[in-house]
Amino acid sequence: MELWREERHAVRKKIALFILLGWLLLVIGDRVDELRVYQGAQIAMYTIALSSIVLLTGYSGQVSLGNGAMMAVGGYAAALTLNNLGSPVWFAFLMAIFFSALFGALLGTAAARLSGPYLAGTTLALAVGLPAIANQFSFLGGEPGIFFDVGLPAQSLGEEFTQYKWFFWIATFIALLSLFITSNILASRFGRTWRAIRSNPLAAELSGIHSSRMKILAFTISSALAGLAGAVLAMTISLVAPGAYTLTLSFALVTGAVLAGVSSLPGVVLGALILVAIPEIADVLANRLGGGENVSNYLPGLIVSILLILSVIFTPNGPGENLRKHRHKKASSH
Amino acid sequence: MQKLLETVLIGISTGSIYALMSLALVLVWRSTRVVNFAQAGQATLSTYIGFEIASRSEIFWLGLAFAIIAGALVGAGVDYFFMRVLFKHAISGPAAVVAPVIATLGLLGLIRSIVGLIWGGEFKSIAAPASKDGFTIGQTTIPFSALNVLIIATVSLILITLAITFQRTNLGLSLRASAYAPEIAQLAGIRTARTRTIGWAIAGGVGGVAGMLVTSYNFLSPYSLDLLLVFGFIAAVIGGLESMVGSVIGALVLGIGLTFILNYIGTSLVFIGGFVVLIVVLLVKPDGIMARGKTRRA
Repeated sequence: MELWREERHAVRKKIALFILLGWLLLVIGDRVDELRVYQGAQIAMYTIALSSIVLLTGYSGQVSLGNGAMMAVGGYAAALTLNNLGSPVWFAFLMAIFFSALFGALLGTAAARLSGPYLAGTTLALAVGLPAIANQFSFLGGEPGIFFDVGLPAQSLGEEFTQYKWFFWIATFIALLSLFITSNILASRFGRTWRAIRSNPLAAELSGIHSSRMKILAFTISSALAGLAGAVLAMTISLVAPGAYTLTLSFALVTGAVLAGVSSLPGVVLGALILVAIPEIADVLANRLGGGENVSNYLPGLIVSILLILSVIFTPNGPGENLRKHRHKKASSH
Repeated sequence: MQKLLETVLIGISTGSIYALMSLALVLVWRSTRVVNFAQAGQATLSTYIGFEIASRSEIFWLGLAFAIIAGALVGAGVDYFFMRVLFKHAISGPAAVVAPVIATLGLLGLIRSIVGLIWGGEFKSIAAPASKDGFTIGQTTIPFSALNVLIIATVSLILITLAITFQRTNLGLSLRASAYAPEIAQLAGIRTARTRTIGWAIAGGVGGVAGMLVTSYNFLSPYSLDLLLVFGFIAAVIGGLESMVGSVIGALVLGIGLTFILNYIGTSLVFIGGFVVLIVVLLVKPDGIMARGKTRRA
């Protein structure tokens, strides 16, 4: 009884924290220029996408290079719902979650039997193959894609309220909500079980955990999150097209998750920030270096790859892990 | 009947290039237990070097030779300067399982960016060493050309060379021994670390040939070999990731299968076709076609 009350207290505290965070973001959104608002929406989108990787890789220990494909499923599901049923926007996002979760469950059934490099390669093949399907069926719009228009912001928000700010509000709301839900899932029995499977599959099985069932569940939830992120991405570019969900996107997601510490959920915000900030920083650098088109096109990739390699060699479990170890050492030496 | 014949012939030609890529992946996997996603990057870099030589000298074969040498050097360098450091550091914690996968992905990105910085993103092409016009049988012309014959011949030559190296030389024996049982090989006096680096070098060289051959009938860009990596991986899995012979057979099967999809069903479904083949193989025969009741080790 006591424990339950304590838990409820913690959840309430968390809700308060998220509302405060949301309010803070909205206030900031009012103070910065249009480009930053748009980038804010992108950060929110990456936050959702990266949390799907943290849940899958950081917790259940499965590597997926195909989350870009999951995002495509979500994006197309949302766009088709919105365009063909004329449904409200929230329903389109819901359908994005539903269809990507369904797809994730199907794929997860196969994936649960694979490990490490096999799974990575399989999802890589999926990331390459799935978006190309759009070219085969005419209702998917082919290479140019199909429109995804969430409509103008509500009139009551005032004349000053721009389209990008509307995107930012929607994206931020969805990101905060999904972070809240994900953090609760990870703190629950499921999160614990996933970590058990990841650190020692055999011991987990012996303790009565259905490891393949739990892995499928992780894949499903992770796909749902990725699909949601895909729909948000479609919203910010007003379009779903195969060109938006490339292999590069899938790689960027893994990179962002690793840079932020693959098993830390709060880290995903940092990872999302890095993913959006690096092209900006690279642009500034490229201008200063005075390089041509090549430099501005390939410098972001260079910086990201170097960061990725360094972090995987020196802090494979994320910067947070090293800090904790450091503190631990300090504490034990006293 | 004619369409069937040309599908099989083109399939063999495409599949033989996949065979080189999947061999490169298998060689690295056997010795290091890492699926080297950077193989695409290594092959791209060596192909660009081969492209430079081939377009300056206007001799394709000189370019190919340089691509092999560059590929071997890059492969050895990656193992020596990168994988050894990686295995020294990232061996524990939640990311230990995924660290090699992510590290080779990072390396792929790094090499790709370097190639982009030097050569830019525009499409390059290498003058093909043989005619791309199809052969004429009677009145009809089929898409199978002298270039396809040359590709199959080149790949066969390389496969025969590799087979002799692995079966008939001391180097091949130590390569096989250190892949099969590293500790015992070391006790028997084989320098396993150095042997491993040689294995990576061979894989790199083979990857370079694959890149040059793809580019001989296609264009070259920093991203153009990604598909080759994916199909090479699928072929390697069909063969069980362990078996070199299996991976070659897998590549030929995959090449013919994908050409069938291309010719009979639809261009856009080729990519997802690869994925479907992979899933089916992994679910039905996860140890590959060459497995002999032995369980998979990873």
